[in-house]
Amino acid sequence: MSIDIPHPVRSKREGTAIPSLHAMKIDEVPSDQPLRRDGNLLLTGRAEFLDDIVPRGLLHAAILRSPHPHARIRSVDLSLAEAFPGVCAALSGERAVELVGPMPAFFDPAMIGCRTFEFRCLAVDTVRWVGQPVAAVVAETLADAEAARDLIRVEYDILPAVLDAEKALESDAPLVFETWDDNLLGKFPFAEGDAEGKIANAPHVVAGELRVGRHQCAPMETRGCIASWERSGKLVFWASTQNPHPIRTNLSMMLRVPEERIQVIAPRLGGGFGHKFNGYAEEPLVCALSRLAGAPVKWLETREECLLVGAREFLHRFRVGFGDDGVVHGLTDRIIGNIGALETWGGWAMTFPAGMTFPGPYKVGNYHVESMAVVTNKAPWSGYRGYGKEQAAMVLERMMDLIGQHLDLDPVEVRRRNFIPREVFPYWAGAKHLDSGNYAGALDKALELAGYGELRGRQALARKEGRHLGIGVAFELTPEGGDFAGSFLRGFDTSTVRVHPTGAITVLTGVTSPGTGNETTIAYLVARELGVPSENVAVVQGDTDACPYGFGSFSSRSIGTGGAAAVLAAREIRDRMSAAAAVLLDCEASDLKFADSHVRSMTDPTKSLLFSDVAQTVFRRALATPGLDEPLLEVTKVDRPHNFQLVPDAEGRFSAYPSYPYSAHVALIDLDVETGVVSVQEYSAVDDCGIVISPKFVDGQLYGAIAQGIGGALWEYQPYDDVTGGPIARTFKHYLTPRARDLPMFRLAHQHTPSPFTLLGTKGAGESGVSGAMAAMLNAVNDALTPLGVTAHQLPLNPQNILAAIERAKR
Amino acid sequence: MIRTRLLYHRPATLGECSDLLAKYVGNVAVLGGGTQLLPQMTRDEIHVEHVVDLRGLSLDTLVFHGDDIEIGAMATYADIMSSTELSALVPLLGRAARGVTGGSQIARQATVVGAVCHNYPGSDMPGVLVALDAKMRIHGTSGLREISASDFLLSASKVDLRPGEFVVSFLVRPVANIGYCKITHSTGSWPIATASAVRDHATGKIAVTLGAIQAVPIRIELDDLGQLDLQVRKAVVAPWSDVLAPGSYRAAIAGVVARRAIGDLQEYG
Repeated sequence: MSIDIPHPVRSKREGTAIPSLHAMKIDEVPSDQPLRRDGNLLLTGRAEFLDDIVPRGLLHAAILRSPHPHARIRSVDLSLAEAFPGVCAALSGERAVELVGPMPAFFDPAMIGCRTFEFRCLAVDTVRWVGQPVAAVVAETLADAEAARDLIRVEYDILPAVLDAEKALESDAPLVFETWDDNLLGKFPFAEGDAEGKIANAPHVVAGELRVGRHQCAPMETRGCIASWERSGKLVFWASTQNPHPIRTNLSMMLRVPEERIQVIAPRLGGGFGHKFNGYAEEPLVCALSRLAGAPVKWLETREECLLVGAREFLHRFRVGFGDDGVVHGLTDRIIGNIGALETWGGWAMTFPAGMTFPGPYKVGNYHVESMAVVTNKAPWSGYRGYGKEQAAMVLERMMDLIGQHLDLDPVEVRRRNFIPREVFPYWAGAKHLDSGNYAGALDKALELAGYGELRGRQALARKEGRHLGIGVAFELTPEGGDFAGSFLRGFDTSTVRVHPTGAITVLTGVTSPGTGNETTIAYLVARELGVPSENVAVVQGDTDACPYGFGSFSSRSIGTGGAAAVLAAREIRDRMSAAAAVLLDCEASDLKFADSHVRSMTDPTKSLLFSDVAQTVFRRALATPGLDEPLLEVTKVDRPHNFQLVPDAEGRFSAYPSYPYSAHVALIDLDVETGVVSVQEYSAVDDCGIVISPKFVDGQLYGAIAQGIGGALWEYQPYDDVTGGPIARTFKHYLTPRARDLPMFRLAHQHTPSPFTLLGTKGAGESGVSGAMAAMLNAVNDALTPLGVTAHQLPLNPQNILAAIERAKR
Repeated sequence: MIRTRLLYHRPATLGECSDLLAKYVGNVAVLGGGTQLLPQMTRDEIHVEHVVDLRGLSLDTLVFHGDDIEIGAMATYADIMSSTELSALVPLLGRAARGVTGGSQIARQATVVGAVCHNYPGSDMPGVLVALDAKMRIHGTSGLREISASDFLLSASKVDLRPGEFVVSFLVRPVANIGYCKITHSTGSWPIATASAVRDHATGKIAVTLGAIQAVPIRIELDDLGQLDLQVRKAVVAPWSDVLAPGSYRAAIAGVVARRAIGDLQEYG
């Protein structure tokens, strides 16, 4: 099979077909697929993370955080802390404004017409959330820094606070930001056609409410950073971050240090997931503390501090009108996101894709979705895998099941009747130019993988025995690769490929790895282009002194941007080396093939040179030997998916996301209706992210994403105390992430519908699974409760929430 | 991090231990397995300058004196689970120990006595010891005293230990017929509700002890199994609320857990 798709940047030799389709059968794991190159280090505890970095003379910082959700700071007395033995520096907000300028946002709300505020690294006159940094201490040991911190005296005047988003929208609600008229950051409408009219005239209407409790991504490794000022005035900054280059630019602005005198290094991460987007106060704060103390300073986020950060909390009020055949006529959803007290962190914007992702994979021409970002006095949001898209998935998938329930139609059939059919792609669907898709195919494959018919049979038998099995079907469309021009969230990235005289190769790229394995994949891609073993290719990421400016990791972009750029760079180097080898072998450059570490003539295989010999010869003889005219075996390229509409087209359509992977999920749960306890019995998923370069890594991403989705749907919760205004879950005994025994073995399979718009046909696989798993759990629990006439729409679907739903239905 | 300048003591005799605890009262913590103490000190929830380690007192034994089984303060969950004699005589202990979260790292280090002294409502062992009518053997500056587990457990995180006192061991008698039921949210969750059912060998009567439902365990003697729901509802007057579940939920499932423990006893116990 070959797909003839014009691509503006393919080299002419490749023609117009996507090369990987010829190179391998899509469903087979390539035999040259390398193992993750750092796997041995990780498994034997030798991998180096942020906390393993210990510059000489390192000091430790502890941060004093607000105990109040809303208060004015009357005074901060550092004297006792400063006098504590071992303390080298202490800082309050008043002094910090002289050292650190206003903080740039990860994504500035003003860029999309929303309100904003000026934020400093330490609170100056007002605190707006429990946990907000107020002061900091640096000492020789962390224990001393914490003990000294306990001696800082702050006087507060308590102000009224609001924690609930609906209450925050009431006219008499306390204002989180006194310069705003109300607590609404922004409102994002997404509409096509006439949803209200269609619903009003529809034969059937179902309405509902869905509440998603506050939860987060809970990375195994928390945040942390180290700042060190060299004698030359250069600032070296290590951070457990997904975006080292933007941090460098932002530090330059905040600290008023020329950007070229700052080096940011992002070591490997023990989990990113959006928690490690840049924009946190601790980034410039630690730099200021280090300057004050005259020594390197490290700050590590405690688990309690990590659990301050929110990442989703939503309320949906939805309606769907449909016909007797289950086809949707119109749908609406009014979404309220409780984004906490805004800071410069990377999470508030998730309220945008929460609405934008509608109507998902379904052909609905009449919809009206409105998503509101509401500030409250909870701690703010950072990013979280899924990035709001899981909200649309949950509501749409509930709608499909509710339609099925209403009409006594299999919810699988309802989906089939509503899917966007495969023939129409690429397809404009409300703020999204969908690249390619075979939604029904993926769903069918998932149903087969799960043994759906047999599951329904088991369910019927169980019901006779008084047991409540629930089957949850869910489909997930996951827009990826977003570009938000004006910010540092861009849809392109840059890679340099450099061949050395000995034939070794280094790739330097602006994309970073949050632990997905993309460094192994990028090495593999470059090695494949140049016909050398993967082990000969080093990949350098996360070092702003070495790597070209890049935007890091988010939105599943690394292969579609940095990986593709590396391939383009490798191809140009191959062209240059072909020209050189043609001279040396006395043949045509087009006759040469790069394979098995050799450059060989295809017509006369005796004409062959080692790849390394070609490289070495170029360095030693270029510009001397006739014909060897190109001495430079280093190329830098930029690439991105070619499916953006960042400026509205003639019809006013706009699309900021170029790639649309999708997946279908089927889950089986067992619900104990006397206690509300859910046990996840089986889980199957079929993922389509286009062409897959590293099947094992894509599977790895799916396992993790599904686990996070299940956890977020069933157990994970960050409750707040109405009296203290602070978070109650402070450890992993309070915040229940899934453990191995909670989850069955996931069955995974794949479908491959390539993207016509990316160099390699890939779509990105970093987020797929979260939305589907959350929606599958939601549907499975409700499916189990159907015989009792109960609807459970309060996440997490923990035992007390399920039991409460059962009790409510009885009344 | 532990923020105090800690002084570590390892007494060699029970008397020396009590003297240290009395001397530093208010500023001293007992170190058994440390699986609760150390995280609490790291989070500065416990702020003391002295730690008295029980390790030197040879309290890690299980002694079978005729009808009394004495389990030392330093006996771990692993010690409990690996004793075949104990499994035969008092199966409830091993049964509950096997369900404690944390895997072998916790099982080999955490102690039953530690869990009981900690007396966090959301835990297994307080309920189990009350169900077994265990006696706590306590050493203080005036020597030894004994008290029933139910009298020992005063309220959430509070036990009857006076200055200079520490638990040396607990004593139980053989109970062959038992049932156990525990409800948790997920693997990482501490118990939301537990029920231990025991059948009195002499009278044949069943008693069910509810754990994690209220601040301290509730023991219910059952003359008539048909009265179980009523008795449970009457007994649960102040259900415990914590970050994992509200009291209303615990009250709602108390009857279910009790019934299942009894069912477990009748079927397998």
